[in-house]
Amino acid sequence: MASKTSPTTPSSNPNGRPSWVAPTFFVLALLIVVVALTQLLGASSDKDRASFSAANAAIGAIVPVLAAFVVGALIPRGQAWNVRFPLAVMSALFAIFVMRMWPSASTAIATGEGAATSPESTTLLSWLIGLPLAGAVAILFLPRQTPRLLKGTTFFVMIGTLCATLPLMRADMGRTYHFNQDIVWIERFGIHYHVAVDGISLWLVILTAFIVPIAAYVSFGSINTRIKDWCFALLLLEAAMIGAFVSLDLFLFYVFWELMLIPMYVMIGVWGGTNRIKASLKFFLYTMAGSMLMLAAILYLAYTYGKVTGGPTSFDYFELQRVVLPRNVQIWLFAGFAASFLIKVPMFPVHTWLPDAHTEAPTAGSIILAAVMLKMGTYGYLRFCMGLFPEASSEFAATLAGVAVLGGILYGGFCAWRQDDVKRLVAYSSVAHLGYVMLGLFAATQSSLEGAVLQMVNHGISTGALFLLVGVIYDRRHTRMLDDFGGLAKVMPVYAALFVIATMASVGLPGTNGFTGEFLIITGTFVSNKLGHVNGIQAVGAALGVIIAALYMLTAVQKMFFGPITRDENKHLKDINAREILAVAPLIIAIFVIGLAPNILLSQMRDAVARTISDVNSRIEANPAPSYYRGPIKVVARRPDAPKPLAAPASAANPTNAAP
Amino acid sequence: MALAFILSPLLVIAAGGMLLMLAEAFAKPGRRGGLALGATMIFAAGFAFSIGVWMYGVEDVPERAMLAPWLQIDRFTIFFDAVLCLGGALAALLAGGYLPEHELERGEFYVLLLFATVGAMMLAAAGDVLIVFLGLETMSIGAYAITAFRRTSPRSAEGALKYFLLGAFAAALLLYGFALLYGATGHTDLAGIGEAVKKGGEKTPMMMIALVLVLVGLLFKVSAVPFHMWTPDAYEGAPTPATTYMAAVVKAGGFAMLLRVLLTCFGDKASMSWAAGWPPALAWIAVITMTVANLVAGQQESVKRMLAYSSIAHAGYLLVGVVACMHSPSQGVSSVLFYLLTYTVSTAGAFGALIYCGSRGKEAVTYEDLAGIGRRHPPAALAFSLFLISLAGLPPTAGFFGKWFVFRAAIDSGFYALTVVAFLNSVIGVYYYLRVMVFMYMREPAAGAPVATPMRSGYVTAALLLSAILVILLGIVPNQSLDMAIKAASVFGG
Repeated sequence: MASKTSPTTPSSNPNGRPSWVAPTFFVLALLIVVVALTQLLGASSDKDRASFSAANAAIGAIVPVLAAFVVGALIPRGQAWNVRFPLAVMSALFAIFVMRMWPSASTAIATGEGAATSPESTTLLSWLIGLPLAGAVAILFLPRQTPRLLKGTTFFVMIGTLCATLPLMRADMGRTYHFNQDIVWIERFGIHYHVAVDGISLWLVILTAFIVPIAAYVSFGSINTRIKDWCFALLLLEAAMIGAFVSLDLFLFYVFWELMLIPMYVMIGVWGGTNRIKASLKFFLYTMAGSMLMLAAILYLAYTYGKVTGGPTSFDYFELQRVVLPRNVQIWLFAGFAASFLIKVPMFPVHTWLPDAHTEAPTAGSIILAAVMLKMGTYGYLRFCMGLFPEASSEFAATLAGVAVLGGILYGGFCAWRQDDVKRLVAYSSVAHLGYVMLGLFAATQSSLEGAVLQMVNHGISTGALFLLVGVIYDRRHTRMLDDFGGLAKVMPVYAALFVIATMASVGLPGTNGFTGEFLIITGTFVSNKLGHVNGIQAVGAALGVIIAALYMLTAVQKMFFGPITRDENKHLKDINAREILAVAPLIIAIFVIGLAPNILLSQMRDAVARTISDVNSRIEANPAPSYYRGPIKVVARRPDAPKPLAAPASAANPTNAAP
Repeated sequence: MALAFILSPLLVIAAGGMLLMLAEAFAKPGRRGGLALGATMIFAAGFAFSIGVWMYGVEDVPERAMLAPWLQIDRFTIFFDAVLCLGGALAALLAGGYLPEHELERGEFYVLLLFATVGAMMLAAAGDVLIVFLGLETMSIGAYAITAFRRTSPRSAEGALKYFLLGAFAAALLLYGFALLYGATGHTDLAGIGEAVKKGGEKTPMMMIALVLVLVGLLFKVSAVPFHMWTPDAYEGAPTPATTYMAAVVKAGGFAMLLRVLLTCFGDKASMSWAAGWPPALAWIAVITMTVANLVAGQQESVKRMLAYSSIAHAGYLLVGVVACMHSPSQGVSSVLFYLLTYTVSTAGAFGALIYCGSRGKEAVTYEDLAGIGRRHPPAALAFSLFLISLAGLPPTAGFFGKWFVFRAAIDSGFYALTVVAFLNSVIGVYYYLRVMVFMYMREPAAGAPVATPMRSGYVTAALLLSAILVILLGIVPNQSLDMAIKAASVFGG
């Protein structure tokens, strides 16, 4: 093949195949086939053909993987095998992932192998946190002059972490928490090292472990200074993010929450753009101000718990969930937590740090910031605000939903429309997208919450891809202004195709991941009873936001890629190279996988979402609006789905205080 | 024998100071390098003896009664002895590197450090106003002298003179307050004064004036706003190890005195009440101290001066813990004790890193001096960042636990507004600590500006390593030291 002789310059081909979208649709079609095949085989193995079932299952397992492998190898026409082979492996891995996670198949596999009966590892999550942390420490002792070794170690550790998430996927999540590990850390204050995942945090952990290696890989091409510091920051950040998603002790959560700040601050400040110092300080101070208020609320809550139970204080999420606070106290604590989370999300009017931080951050920093760190805010709201203060969170849901729609979805969208800088545009589109997620959380119906969690993952993937692609063009042209581009599709056809796919995912075109999440959120919002009888208007506003999203994203795409080439500098740009293709490929595949088979995510989170809602609703039914609960502060029984307490010091010591 | 044993930390440091003075006198001029090591070993011995006494327990030693009421050796004292020795050891190590590097090497410095520490330990053990005054002066005179140690520098002399004049003035106020207290109660021992104050019920004007004078004198020593004017000048003018010593040991000694005097003399219900006692005054001073110090610290161009203001701000956080004593003295005191421990290691580390970043003729003082350190000397920058993060109170460092404990005590005592102010102040604090990191990592030195070259000194490296290890250990497994702080605070009851 000709491609073998000229592997790096596919775009120099003058008849450069403007229809690079077509092969991509080919992937799409084949993935459907793969998925259908899997389902068919999975279903048939359920039947009574016992003698054939083993062979059948083996074929069912191998055929789609092989198919995906072949497709992955064939798709990138004009590329060398150093691109084709990894792509083939990636698509095969995704095929395995889909098959494993397919709802009916996963139970069949679990029961078939007896995995359900074997006890879960309690140290798995500690490995997930500890691997990157140990990697970061190891990086400190590696010589500074060996960038290849540093990069290799970092990437290896990250891939190791990703592999360590595999057992997470095998577990059948249900309503409860899994991989529970609970160790006393500081006994005197009731601080535990308590980590566990449920169906909600599961996906965020996997998202983190999935995105960070991609960000690292893409950064290794563009970051050439102070590699050692960079690798250290990346690994520390990964450990802190995973830790924050899995910790169920509020103290531990706070530790990881703050631990995230420093590496990200350094990443923006050292490797960022021209205004990086101002942007990094702004980022830090905004987040810090919020988290200080949260710390005050955490301290008060733990202290109240200790006072009411008469025992030691506790920072355990499930213990603190038992505390029923009167309204006048609860709204303040809720405000403390919410301030921290809403700044992180970020929601209007405290979103102003985000465009600055994104614009100045290096590409990898932007990817991680958008894909994972913003989810900290939404996840925190879901887990802690709704879990600890159900009454207050449902009382303010209507107001905050209005802010999410007007200030997030609509205002964010219009702001994005007016941007000249592509990265800033994507940053504002994040504000709009996170507005959907928050709206879904405020609406608190089954479908809106599922949609919100799904959209957290979706936004991570599609915005991650967009930032990555913006970084690609920035590395070539050192500008991000829309006006500096135009007609790029002619010189960079592959790049244009990938960008359009990511854009479509961001806009929410059916078939891509964005559609499912937004659709679930909007329908869930429409039927919500938490939004003070304006749920219909909110849903309409959110739907309008989809149109605005199309407006700003497509305008940007048009300005960048179509029309005549107006600048001479753009005439000889190199198309996306092998490294960049490999970095973005998993994201593009994930866009379609989630877009076509969202159920593999939804089925795992469904029961956890149902548990969250029933927790909220049971509290509100017991303490009806508008005054909810007048006091005194009391503790109720531990939630039925909570993992068993460690030594039960608090709950066993005061059975009398536990009101029904 | 048991008497000598429970007094051993104090005696070791005092005897060691005298021995060192002899050694210095007989040492050949060129061979004074060992003095720093000697001083460090003496401090280490004092620390070891403190731990030994702690493990043995002082409650059941009958000889304690022989010392009363002049000296009170209890767990509170022993805890302070350990913290003071730790701070002194770090300062001595830093001096061992700094003084020869900047051609200030004179043996008196170490001797003064040891004697001043004896004074600070007396403050922690004081049971009588005379001992309080004796300890205070012993500590202060040493501190004045080491502030003025850079004889050729006008700033050093200015700072020392300011410190000396204001310090003498404050000591006079304190003494006057004690005199009035004696007049009002007929006692010079703290416990006796406390009993009399308790019995007296309604406060006489004389008593109130005495309380105010004593408070002013005490707050001067811990450099709370508005009695902080001497601090930035003295801290900036002094050689950096002396600054370290003032920030760590003198401050800890001041808080030992503050807690001892306030909680023993004015520990009754009326004096501890919000309506008629000292807590509201201290709460307001805490708020003003934190806010003013943090705002001014953000404006500084000199890192040393910024750290001076930061030490004032930390005095404000500590005062929050003192105010929290109003409802439960044991919790408030334990939080202050633990905070002092974490603050000692972090601030000594921060000053140590600043020392490390400068070499002969090019002492690192301003932010500009630190530009580009992160690229050229990564270990120095990493260590400095660690201590700054700890001072800023971010996990997982010692400073976070210290802050957390103090704020927790304040919330438990119901001071919500005060705590929120303190929290917001920490955010301001983060701004100027991060600014150092900005210069170290994100700026390059201006063209033609002298590039900072770190010094080479085993002493300074050892001090940095020791504080870094402690900062991380106290941030991850603070259990043991927390328990010790809580046990130490239990001498003040409920």
